Amino acid sequence: MSDALFRNEPVSSTPCVADGVSISLAAPLKRYSLRARTAEALETVLNAKVPQKIGATEGGIACLGPDEWFLRTAAETAMPTDTGLPVAITDISERSICLVVEGPRAAELLMTGCPLDFDNFAVGRATRTIYETVEIIIIREGEDRFHVEVWRSFAAWLWTAFTAAASH
Amino acid sequence: MSGYRLENGGRIDRSRPVEFSFDGNPYQGFAGDTLASALLANGISLFGRSFKYHRPRGIMAAGSEEPNALISVDRGAGRFTPNLRATGVEIHAGLNAFSQNRWPSLKRDFGAINDRLGMFFPAGFYNKTFMWPRSFWEKLYEPAIRKMAGLGDAPTQEDPDIYASTYAHCDLLIVGAGPAGIDAALEAMGSNKRIILIDEQDELGGGALADPALWPWLERSRKALIDAPNVTILTRTTAFGYYHDNFIGAVQRLTDHMPNNSDSPREKLWRVRAGEVVLAQGAIERPLVFDGNDTPGVMLSSAAKVFANRFGVAVGTSVALMTAHDSGWHDVFALVKAGVGIKAVIDVRTELSSALLDEASRLGINVYLNHSVTGVNGRHRVTSIQICNNDDFVGARIDCDTLLMAGGWTPSVHLWSHSKGSLAWRDDIGAYVPDQPNENARCVGACSGGWDFGSGMIVDVLPTPKDQSRIKAFVDFQNDVTAKDIKLAVREGFRSIEHIKRYTTNGMATDQGKTSNLNGLQIASTALAKPVTDIGLTSFRPPYTPQTFGALAAHAKGALFQPTRTTNIDGWAAENGAVFELVAQWRRARYFPKMGEDMHAAVNRECVAVRSSVGIFDASTLGKIEVVGPDAAEFLNRMYTNPWKALEPGRCRYGLLLKEDGFITDDGVSARLAPDRFHLTTTTGGAARVLNMMEDYLQTEWPDLDVWLTSTTEQYAVIALQGPNARKLLEPLVEGIDLSADAFPHMAIREGTICGIPTRLFRVSFTGELGFEINVPTAYGRAVWEHLMAEGAKFDITPYGTEAMHVLRAEKGFIIVGQDTDGTITPFDAGLDWAAGKKKPDFVGKRSMARPDIVAPGRKQLVGLLTDDPNVVLEEGAQIVADPRQPIPMTMIGHVTSSYWSETLGRSIAFALVAGGHEMMGGMLYIPMPGKTHEAKVSGMVFYDAEGARLHV
Amino acid sequence: MILIHCPYCDEKRPEIEFANAGQAHVARPLDPSSQSDEEWEAYLFIRANPRGRHHERWRHVHGCGRFFNAVRDTVTDKFETTYKAGEPRR
Repeated sequence: MSDALFRNEPVSSTPCVADGVSISLAAPLKRYSLRARTAEALETVLNAKVPQKIGATEGGIACLGPDEWFLRTAAETAMPTDTGLPVAITDISERSICLVVEGPRAAELLMTGCPLDFDNFAVGRATRTIYETVEIIIIREGEDRFHVEVWRSFAAWLWTAFTAAASH
Repeated sequence: MSGYRLENGGRIDRSRPVEFSFDGNPYQGFAGDTLASALLANGISLFGRSFKYHRPRGIMAAGSEEPNALISVDRGAGRFTPNLRATGVEIHAGLNAFSQNRWPSLKRDFGAINDRLGMFFPAGFYNKTFMWPRSFWEKLYEPAIRKMAGLGDAPTQEDPDIYASTYAHCDLLIVGAGPAGIDAALEAMGSNKRIILIDEQDELGGGALADPALWPWLERSRKALIDAPNVTILTRTTAFGYYHDNFIGAVQRLTDHMPNNSDSPREKLWRVRAGEVVLAQGAIERPLVFDGNDTPGVMLSSAAKVFANRFGVAVGTSVALMTAHDSGWHDVFALVKAGVGIKAVIDVRTELSSALLDEASRLGINVYLNHSVTGVNGRHRVTSIQICNNDDFVGARIDCDTLLMAGGWTPSVHLWSHSKGSLAWRDDIGAYVPDQPNENARCVGACSGGWDFGSGMIVDVLPTPKDQSRIKAFVDFQNDVTAKDIKLAVREGFRSIEHIKRYTTNGMATDQGKTSNLNGLQIASTALAKPVTDIGLTSFRPPYTPQTFGALAAHAKGALFQPTRTTNIDGWAAENGAVFELVAQWRRARYFPKMGEDMHAAVNRECVAVRSSVGIFDASTLGKIEVVGPDAAEFLNRMYTNPWKALEPGRCRYGLLLKEDGFITDDGVSARLAPDRFHLTTTTGGAARVLNMMEDYLQTEWPDLDVWLTSTTEQYAVIALQGPNARKLLEPLVEGIDLSADAFPHMAIREGTICGIPTRLFRVSFTGELGFEINVPTAYGRAVWEHLMAEGAKFDITPYGTEAMHVLRAEKGFIIVGQDTDGTITPFDAGLDWAAGKKKPDFVGKRSMARPDIVAPGRKQLVGLLTDDPNVVLEEGAQIVADPRQPIPMTMIGHVTSSYWSETLGRSIAFALVAGGHEMMGGMLYIPMPGKTHEAKVSGMVFYDAEGARLHV
Repeated sequence: MILIHCPYCDEKRPEIEFANAGQAHVARPLDPSSQSDEEWEAYLFIRANPRGRHHERWRHVHGCGRFFNAVRDTVTDKFETTYKAGEPRR
């Protein structure tokens, strides 16, 4: 891609650091929506292990629904979407951005608007859910580290909500 | 300080005096005081005026059940909170509190005239009296009544405070931290359960705070709970509602007790999901019903004990007790111990335990058994009481400044009732107690009816020799409902307590009848000569106590009120003076005025620029769905009205989407990228709805199809480049795509790069001009836009907004679904029957196109309108008639859906939905407007370049 | 806010992740063109409004995205059961 043209992100590239929690914009990623009737069908195409259970992640692939997976990988590694097989691979790299919520109060921050119980949300788990009225995907990367994927047009609102809650 | 503060005792910090004000007068209290205890210590007995009669009222209770002492607190501009209970307001330096519902002052209240006229204000008075004449209600009666009858003033300024909110999860939620709640927490503490303990007061303890003998236990327990890692303690927190599946709403008050306003949240809304709920809400003492029982200085006996033992305040210097329950005796003994002077104990009962009598005798208290209070003297404070024997009515006068009432106890089943747990009546305590749960919940302690207060007798109204119709014996103190009102309701034919409640308003005030419900029930029961259980029980509903709107709205205000979705190019538009409008949740640039331009001048300029050179438009908000899989074409063929299977890769098609009822729900241009891949577009507002509808059919009707849908609305920023110079501008910037007319015709798609960025380039037009829609990965939207602006300068490139887009499309006869259609318009009605595949055996909505109503003549159809006077721009929404001379009310045959000034055509244009409109071509219709009826000719909808010469270049 | 068991995720999730999608087991006729006006009217517009057990469709729209069926009591607002789309009526 042209170096001349800049990326324009919907939130600040300067992290918000508050007591016990920080919120920062993750670096650009490649993202794909992977759809197939079974995990096996995808495994054939990807030549990689694909998690079977909704909520599980494996090698950057999260199972979000019975026929839906979410692949995130380094920005440099584009993958072919045209397989000719009964699977669907769609490039959604720029549909969302990722906010990294990190620190001992990370789960507490998400709880301010997300009704899930993070005491029962293991590291490695991923799910689509909702923060107040905004749909998000939460991936628990570590005990104190979450990735929150949010569609770009909602990102500014979510950033404001997170940073306000973090300051409380 | 006056003589009401006891020498010793209480949990107040006597080393920390606190200065505050009430009605503008300065007072002093101690840290740990409530506004109620501090003012009582200062000898204040008058706290407010009652709702209807403006009677002087004092403190009746010590907790959140207080019905009388409602006050307002002013914390500065916009920080005005009315209707707080003085018993729940912690004093702090600078506290600025006011009494309510009085004018000009609390002591001299003009509205008190209502009390003198009380006999004219029976239950149902307002409904009966102010019916006629009807027109007087809004202008005269209601404003006058509202001024006279009321609570505190509503705040008038915007609230500058911020409010926090959170969800929380626990295995065990305990509501109420009195002894029963604390015991439940201690018992569960050793498990690995996550426990939340909630209490509305500033410290744990509940009733134990008024019992010094329990303080060592309380301190040990408090420490143990604070040290337990699995226990979260929330004080100053009111669990206000109990909802399905053990979901409890609670508000934590964070800063109101502090001297200074801060930037941190004032309150926090807790949305708690609990595995099990233990309700330990305690019980509320019941007042007794007798003439003058609302005089300042008459209060609950348990409250007097709280004020003495917790706050070190004597509620009076000579105190009498009217009791029907043992607990009153125990309270009085505690008061003696605390140093409060007791004048007499009057018990309505004839027999009671000798232990109580012996203790009273030992303490030298005068005792009157089988007696009742029949009157109270004093207006702003009790001066004496009248008592008499229940049998012979032989009376006596007792001088005292305070009269305590002990009428028994009512378990607090509020939250239990919110949860739809059932209740059982217990005759022995004259109260409903929790029975069968509806959630995983249980009640412990006094709110389950289990207590050691002793026993009592249930009396509805105390015996009196007075004419019952002339006394004011209050049942609901906050709504000014007397025993007489309830009896009147029964006489007028009301039988159910639900009806009696609504007629008399008993229990309908902000305290939800915490002190009045059961007395009202008993009085109705006696009047109807039916057992209480036959009369029913009114329901408790959230909130348990009033909560601020701020807490419930939490952070949903200002910038966070609701998400405003913005495109990648929005920032450029903002920096370049765009005027915005909201379309669904999206913020879109409406027009880009130059210096001195109004909207019309800007829109005219933008339209002309597109028609004459090139315009640039942010179309990113268009909904986009990627449809992928071997059955993609088959699926679209079933969804859309038109055929898709024969569409070649690289070509686009206009798609019309119906609902199964045959009415248009969405439209858009879609492209086939590959045999198994389509790029759909939808309207901005329809994106989510269309995807949901398609998923519905795919998942539940045709699960056999191998095709998947992915929203790509936000994957691409979309820049529309429209106008005769569009190709010239684009050509040098694009690689990998031959832009020539032959290689890249209208309604085609190509993939390549623009300025080095990958693009899905559509050759489409919503303006009628040569046009392209450039899809680039969203992050690069603004950069590509700015590049086009710079390169386009030589063509005088003009950014245009949604308003110009609307005009341009209308000139070409393109409809906007949702503006020109309203959910009852078929493809035929809209003149789009060419897009409905008649040869296709089926598609969503096809069968409905043969429904009797839809083939019937006279349906509203979309047509063009050209006003007789070309300068008249009709109002959108204006009604249309066939004959302007017909009498009013006229028969309206349609309305204007779109109407604009067309600078290109030098005249106005409009679309309208008109009954039978397709048959009226060339005919005249009339649009009656204030002052003038406009005349317009029915025309086709394409006003400009009907043959499409400008497109195919 | 109730909890709803999603039969695909196989766990109870908060109500705000879900959307109601009307009465369940109203199948689109395989050949709509063969339907009489009355039959088509019944398919389009006629719905049950029971007091008590009600078969409904819900979608875990902010979760796994799947439509499923549920039996909910319209009086108590309690879910009796939920099951996957395509499974027989319960």
